[in-house]
Amino acid sequence: MDIDTDMYGDDSTQPRKPIDPHPIEPQLEMDTTQKNLTAQPVPNTSFATGNPTTPLQSVTTPLTPTAAVSRRKFMGVSVAGLAAIGGASAAAAVGGVALAKLLQNGGPGNIFHGPVASNAQIGHLLRHAGFGGSPDELAMYSNLGYNGAVDRLINYQQVPDDAMESRLNALNIDLNSPLNQQRWWLLRMSWTQRPLLEKMTLFWHGVLTSSYHKVGGPRAYMRMIIQNQFLRNHAFDTFDNILLGITSDPAMLFYLDLTKSRSNAPNENYARELMELFTLGLGHYTQQDVYEGAAALTGWHVKGLTSQYYPQDHNELVKTYLGHTGNLDYKDVLNILANHPATPWFITRRLFTFFAYENPSDDDLKPLVDTYVQSGHNMGEVMRTLLLSPQFASTKAYRGRIKSPVEFTVGAYHAMNINGDGNGLPTITTLMGQTLFDPPNVAGWPGDKVSALWLNSGTWMTRLNYIDLLLARGTVARTGLTPLVDLQGIVNTHQLNTPEQFVDHFSSFLLDGELASDRRTQLLDYFTAPGSSTFGAPITLGNGTSYPLGRVRGTLYLMMSSPEYQLN
Amino acid sequence: MKLTRRAMIKDGLLVVSAGMIMPAIFSRGVSSARAQALDGSRLAQSANNRTLIVVQMAGGNDGLNTVVPFTDPLYLKLRPTLGLSETQVLPLDTRLGLHPNLSPLKKLWDAGHLAIVEGVGYPNQSLSHFQAMDIWQTLDLNGNGSQGWLGKLVSGLVDQEGHPFKSIDIGVQTAQALQSISTQVPTIANVSTYRIYPDPADTDGGNARLQALMKLYNSYPGTAPYAALLDTTALSAQDGSNQLRQADATYHPAVTYPKGPFADGLKVLAEAIVQGLGLRVGYVTLGGFDTHANQKSTHDTLMLTLANGLSAFYNDLAAHGKADNVVVMTWSEFGRRVDENGSLGTDHGTAAPLFVLGNPVSKGIYGEPPSLSNLDQNGNLKYTLDFRSVYATVLDRWMGASSKDVLGGSFGTQNFLPQA
Repeated sequence: MDIDTDMYGDDSTQPRKPIDPHPIEPQLEMDTTQKNLTAQPVPNTSFATGNPTTPLQSVTTPLTPTAAVSRRKFMGVSVAGLAAIGGASAAAAVGGVALAKLLQNGGPGNIFHGPVASNAQIGHLLRHAGFGGSPDELAMYSNLGYNGAVDRLINYQQVPDDAMESRLNALNIDLNSPLNQQRWWLLRMSWTQRPLLEKMTLFWHGVLTSSYHKVGGPRAYMRMIIQNQFLRNHAFDTFDNILLGITSDPAMLFYLDLTKSRSNAPNENYARELMELFTLGLGHYTQQDVYEGAAALTGWHVKGLTSQYYPQDHNELVKTYLGHTGNLDYKDVLNILANHPATPWFITRRLFTFFAYENPSDDDLKPLVDTYVQSGHNMGEVMRTLLLSPQFASTKAYRGRIKSPVEFTVGAYHAMNINGDGNGLPTITTLMGQTLFDPPNVAGWPGDKVSALWLNSGTWMTRLNYIDLLLARGTVARTGLTPLVDLQGIVNTHQLNTPEQFVDHFSSFLLDGELASDRRTQLLDYFTAPGSSTFGAPITLGNGTSYPLGRVRGTLYLMMSSPEYQLN
Repeated sequence: MKLTRRAMIKDGLLVVSAGMIMPAIFSRGVSSARAQALDGSRLAQSANNRTLIVVQMAGGNDGLNTVVPFTDPLYLKLRPTLGLSETQVLPLDTRLGLHPNLSPLKKLWDAGHLAIVEGVGYPNQSLSHFQAMDIWQTLDLNGNGSQGWLGKLVSGLVDQEGHPFKSIDIGVQTAQALQSISTQVPTIANVSTYRIYPDPADTDGGNARLQALMKLYNSYPGTAPYAALLDTTALSAQDGSNQLRQADATYHPAVTYPKGPFADGLKVLAEAIVQGLGLRVGYVTLGGFDTHANQKSTHDTLMLTLANGLSAFYNDLAAHGKADNVVVMTWSEFGRRVDENGSLGTDHGTAAPLFVLGNPVSKGIYGEPPSLSNLDQNGNLKYTLDFRSVYATVLDRWMGASSKDVLGGSFGTQNFLPQA
């Protein structure tokens, strides 16, 4: 048997680089047509085939064990029992959260008044379940009502996204380069009409994560895109199917060394992180479970851009794993984990923290855990429960997290309707602290759990400088570049007649119009202060008055550099 | 725009006066300084200009292949393919030798500037990267801490000049070791981007826009979300970026640093020291040590990167006459399993050696290399020295701080640094 079928060799482990704003682009020879993106990562198993086009209609039955082993019936455990199991130890697994608690204010209570979907309500929804909205999008989602807006976001397959695909295709991006992969995904997030699908993919990327630095070498970088497409296709699938797919994902097989695991020499890397970081959290397993799980998981190997299960390389000994005994294999392991009582608490805590606020209580999580159990582990239904929960609509959730680098970068790009090629965006998110396809380690980005960690002096200045780049530096007169943002055009289109209307227009979709009057006054003072610009045509408002270019775009810079705009 | 800020201790309170602006930020600064004076004054120390550089080797460094017990027959028996033979290692004594790629560190050893602390760990060591990293950084053995040990130290350091750079973290995210409630640690990816760019259309170099921005931060309500974080971040950035830019313009490294982010980071720290920016604690991370498979090439490269970077840093400081003021210590969240695995790699382990280097260091091997025959139930080394004793040594004997207050207990000190 030729186990080492990895056609790209084993040059896996580039030393990790804490700072790498300018990754070297390797010379690549691979074909990059779209057909690569549809390569099946799971050729040899009947699992992980949840229908990607109708994820919410396919409520998958939990896996049937193939081995004759005794196992507890977790599904029968009372909900109260689940709560007790999920409590303190699940909180401990998140770790390092006390600091954020001290930094974050806000309490219970609903900011949203009245039955009509308000600007703040829809803005809040689109920021959390996407990357914010343009004025047109806010109007469109508002007209659907809040529940209708949630439906549209989750039932993404009913929303065509051809325009985004066309724009991306027109750029002819070579996806074998890490920088281009980042650029491709950042543009995708900026231009999509399916914002929650991309946001959910980003969530999964931060949990079930892999890095291009250890994916099989420069000729295997495409494995990162295959993983990304898997996470997108199954973003709202059952957790069982997601676990099956990620376990047999070529990038993951390489990243956590499962492809190196042999029947007679199990490698414990994936077995440990699968429990610690993907499903249970610390405290729910022993080192013995790591050993036994590693033996049970043997058999999977990377094969080029796909993977294959080799039964003859599966360890056939009897194992005892989390209380289950038998000749267990990967299906049993994943079945045990998806049905383990700690799992819904673990994964909904990650989900809630990412999409709503940090340090959720057990009461906050319980409806999500219940949905997980009752829906057959359907993550789309769990997501719906979250978006419709009173917690999601609370003041605690409103501006309750620091925007992540990707949220900030894509949010501004999207809001200002930038039509660029995305070059430079990967370096910007890297300097802000987030390089897509290259998390700092297998735990993903710490900021996903404690968002205060995204912000420090260096990353804050990068945020400011990015806004400056979008608004100002693309218009340096001597470069002759077309401005990235056509301010005069926006003024004309939206018939902004006064400085007040200018500020209110941008505030309405950048800040939900939630701008205290004294702060609005500060912006107006800046807008109207006397002065001139060294170059550039002044901006003429609808009332016929002209203002220096630097003052006008400076006002917008202030709004997008403000404390409020750093928050999600 | 000149934003020099001077602080001085007066009647137990930190009183800050500014040439201009931002009363609310400063009043918050004063209040946090007041808290410091109450809580942190015991941590604070007599003014000295000593610097501690902490190097994190992230991922779990294979201690046994870093400081090699090459005369122990069990070592090569348990490491049939990964083991380094007597002819390969750089012998330190009759028992231990350095990885062959650590020859720059061997030179420092020969010159008397390198100490090795052996068998460092803690009770019931976690095999989880993340719990282990939390424990090393926050000292909470359950892994639930939030404030870092260096953060506590730095927030207790009161600097009469109000330097913005009493600590620097190299990278894009502040290490947990440096987290504290009251202090923002300047976190620098590289010097060239550590600045606020002006709009070229503005006639005043961006001054008015920056002032308007700081006013937006200043007037952001203290009860609003993340107010303290946002305020202190903005202030730290604005304070520091000008100083760093000025310092950078006149800094000339005395050596050629190796290429790569690790050495680049060390160069920034050297610059801060040489240019007198008041650096007391510097932090830099080298990652990639989680060598579960095909360990050899990865670990060889990392050893080379570590040694060449530290050597260049030391030589740069020495050439600038600053080597007597700086101590470097390394750490990693755990060592690797004693017996290699079936993937030409090693799985998560426990105790490991760490390095302390600098002119003030007393050369030698401290602590006891753990026995290879008396392993724990998982086949891992039993630690012989508590990591907090290493911390206590650098705190008490080098930083002049009270280790008891920083660490919340007494853990004894080692003799790799002389008695204060």
